Parts: sequence; C-alpha cells; structure tokens
Amino acid sequence: MSDNYLNINNLSFEYPDGHEALKNINLNLSNGERLGVLGPNGAGKTTLILHLNGILGELKGNIQLNQVSYTEDNISKIRKSVGLVFQDPDDQLFMPTVLEDVMFGPKNFGFSEEQVEANSMKALEQVRMLEFIDKPPHHLSFGQKRKIAIASVLASEPELLVLDEPSSNLDPASRRELIDILKNLKVSIILVTHDLPMALEICNRSIILNNGQITADADTYKILKDSKVMEENRLELPFGFALHHLEE
Amino acid sequence: METSHSHHLEIHSNSYLVKIKPEIKLISFFFIILSIAFLSLENNLTTIIQAVIVLSLLKVSKLKFNTYLKRLSIDIPFILFALFLPFVSKGNGEILTSLFNISIYKTGVNEMTSILIKITLCVTLAIILTATTSNIEIIYGLQKLKVSPLLVSIFSFAIRYIDVFIDEVKRVRVSMRSRGYSEKGFRTLKPLAFASGALLIRGYERGERVYNSMISRGFKGTLELKEREFKSSKLILLVSIFSIAVSTLDWFIT
Repeated sequence: MSDNYLNINNLSFEYPDGHEALKNINLNLSNGERLGVLGPNGAGKTTLILHLNGILGELKGNIQLNQVSYTEDNISKIRKSVGLVFQDPDDQLFMPTVLEDVMFGPKNFGFSEEQVEANSMKALEQVRMLEFIDKPPHHLSFGQKRKIAIASVLASEPELLVLDEPSSNLDPASRRELIDILKNLKVSIILVTHDLPMALEICNRSIILNNGQITADADTYKILKDSKVMEENRLELPFGFALHHLEE
Repeated sequence: METSHSHHLEIHSNSYLVKIKPEIKLISFFFIILSIAFLSLENNLTTIIQAVIVLSLLKVSKLKFNTYLKRLSIDIPFILFALFLPFVSKGNGEILTSLFNISIYKTGVNEMTSILIKITLCVTLAIILTATTSNIEIIYGLQKLKVSPLLVSIFSFAIRYIDVFIDEVKRVRVSMRSRGYSEKGFRTLKPLAFASGALLIRGYERGERVYNSMISRGFKGTLELKEREFKSSKLILLVSIFSIAVSTLDWFIT
C-alpha cells in the first residue's frame, strides 16, 4: 500500500464571482484507502472532488495522482484513473439505454470493443443491475439510477472512486445495498457525504471541510465522537444513533 | 423522481415496419413524402396510387384505426387553413361559383384540395413512422445516415432530458398551486414568467453538470450508439422507389 497515492498540496480555488471555495488544502491518500469527506453545506466538498477530475481548469496548488501531475497532457489519464460519481444521477446518465451509458466511459478512454463490453457487463454485475441493460435510464427509480451511475464509472476501471452524496434521496434498503456494494469494491474511495453513519461504516479515515479549509483529519470514529469538533463544523449524528456500542 | 414518459409515440407490435433498419425506414419515408409533395394532383391515377401506398403502409404498421385518427388530429390546423383558401386565394381571378354573394375561386379550391390530400398523406406517414420507430432507433438511424454528430447529440439529449424537464415543470406548478396560485388572468403571468426563468437557469446549470460528467468520463465530442440488429429492409426501399417513379410519371404526363 503506497502512502502517497494521491497528494494534494496547497490547493486553493476561487470561483469567477470571487467566492473562495478552497483555501490551501493539503491532503494525502494511500492506495486502497477509503476517505470520508464531511462538512456543512457550501464547505467546498464538491469543488474539491471536481478538482480531482481536473474539471475546474487551471490549478492553484498542486495535485499528483500516483506521481502523475495534473497537467493538460495527463488529464485524460487522470480522468480514467479517477471515477467521479455525481450527486444527481440524471446529470450522469444521458445515453438512450443503460448499457450504452455504462459503455460511454471505456469507449472514450480507448478500450478495445471486447473490453468495453466485458467491463460494462462486469460493472453492471457489481452493482447488481445486469437485467436492466436495455432499459432507458430515465425509466428507472432513483436508487437504480444511482447504481447505474456507479457502474458507468466502474466500467473504466478507475483506481480511485469519488462519490458525491451517494446516499442522498435513497430509501433505507437502497442505501444498505449501496453500502454493501461500495464495501466490496477493491478501489480507493473518497466519499463526500452528510450521511455520517455511512461514512463510519465505509471509511476508516475522514476529513472535515469547513469554509474551504480542512478543519479535522482523523479516524472517522474519533471525529464522530468528538462533540466539540462536530458542533464547530455544524455536524450532528442522527437522532437515536449511538457510538458507544461500536468498537473503536 | 418518477418520470412521465409523456412523449413516447411508438407502439409495440410485430409489424414488418417495426423490425426493419431505421436508417432505411427514415430515408424511404423521406422519399415517399417528397414524391407526394411533388404530385401535381392533376392526374387522378397517380394520386390514387400514392394514397394506396400510404394506406398500405398504414395497414402493414398494424396501428389501430382509433389511435391513427386521434393522432391525425394534428392535421386540424392545416385543414382549417385550407378551408379558407377557396375564399381568399384568387389566383387569376377565375370564379368557380358564389355562395351567399361570396366568391369561391378556382385557384383556391385547387390549393385547398392539394393541401388536404398532401398534408393528410404526409401526416399519415409521419404517424406510421413514429408509431413503428422508437426514439432511440430514430437517433440510431440518423447516425447511420451520417447526419452531423452534433445534431445527433442534440436530438439524443433532447429525447433524454425532455422527461426530466417535464417533471421539473410539473413539480414547480404543483409547488405554486400548493401556495394558492391559480393560472387566471393577466396578473398571474408574472409568477409564471419567474418560474419559467428559474427553469431556464436550472436547465442551463444541468447542462453544465451533464457536460462535466461527460468530460470526467473522457468525452471527446462524439456520442456513439451501440450496433443494433434489424431485419432486411429491401421491401420498404422498393416501395419508396416505386413512389418516386409514380411521381416522376405524374410529372411527365402533366
């Protein structure tokens, strides 16, 4: 397990309207690690993950993925390695059928035709959605669309999977299914979420992002247990959820 | 976020027209429509042959007559327009007859007949095409016909997001009504205008997010649909060639 799989050094970002979304972010991630990104609304979480895919343009600071820098020449390689699952699956699924949507990524990244087909079927199997291959995505339920969105990213064999609020709008059963799927994936994961029990279940380590800065970086359990840190960062465990019975 | 599927026109059946290649179907229908548009209508036989071609296709499509009639209602504005022509289109001024002191012009009557026959036949073809071809197949057909990839992408996105947009419009209307809004009178247009503006901005922002999700999966400018299998489509091609031949003959005769 390499300690320096993802290195973010002094990353700052300002939107054109002057809003400073990220302020001097420093973060390291090991290969295979699962990291939770917690924080209140408007903290800069989505901005941070868009940077991981090189979507927001020129960087102020430095990001390296597996010692490859985020430069114009490397961006296609970076995007292949970092699979980004967006918050609203309707933003991600735009092809006429589920299978074509899942095949979209690997086709663009230059996989051979056989590999595109094989990867897509494997990804759909991983999210347990094989029987939906010929359905148009907009006919599916929200939970099904979310799983297809994950498959559409897995098909490109990413090394790092980045998910933006994957449990939002899901019913409890779909949420449980999603957690099981994510726990079984053999890739590094960055999980942006307000669902603190989910972060605890999936990620050993979490950071809190507040007002564009990392205000905590520790074991997820420790963060959730620290009521002072939680309160300062506008975080709260769900009513009735108790940490004391969980092992540290 | 359940969707409405309100715009789906295709009807599942085992018709020959459902199974053939969409690109051949599109091009054949295009040529049949073109040959009908160029009919002079001065020769009854050629007109009847073209009508028989269209009605045979309607029969082959296995479309229920009631459904056909319902969809044909799209023809009504054209019919209304055509019905005015005998009174207003003077041409060379030749009067056919008078009705309550209102002149009915020969040119107008000819134009009315022409519009009624041609529009009805062409709309019937459009109804058959949309009933036997899914949205995806139309996009696939256009791609096979080498229509500009940009246009194909635009059509594809329009089809994909129309449901999402209709659902958003419905939700906004429900939320407006739940706060006592009713669409009555001129004054109620203002909130409607604001709501439309909000929907427009949301649409624009969604466009940006969709584009981000595309480039994050390596999008380089072209959308490619996977290959699909269809039955041989020679018969429809022959029908369209026959239709062109009939119109060419019609042109020579007149």
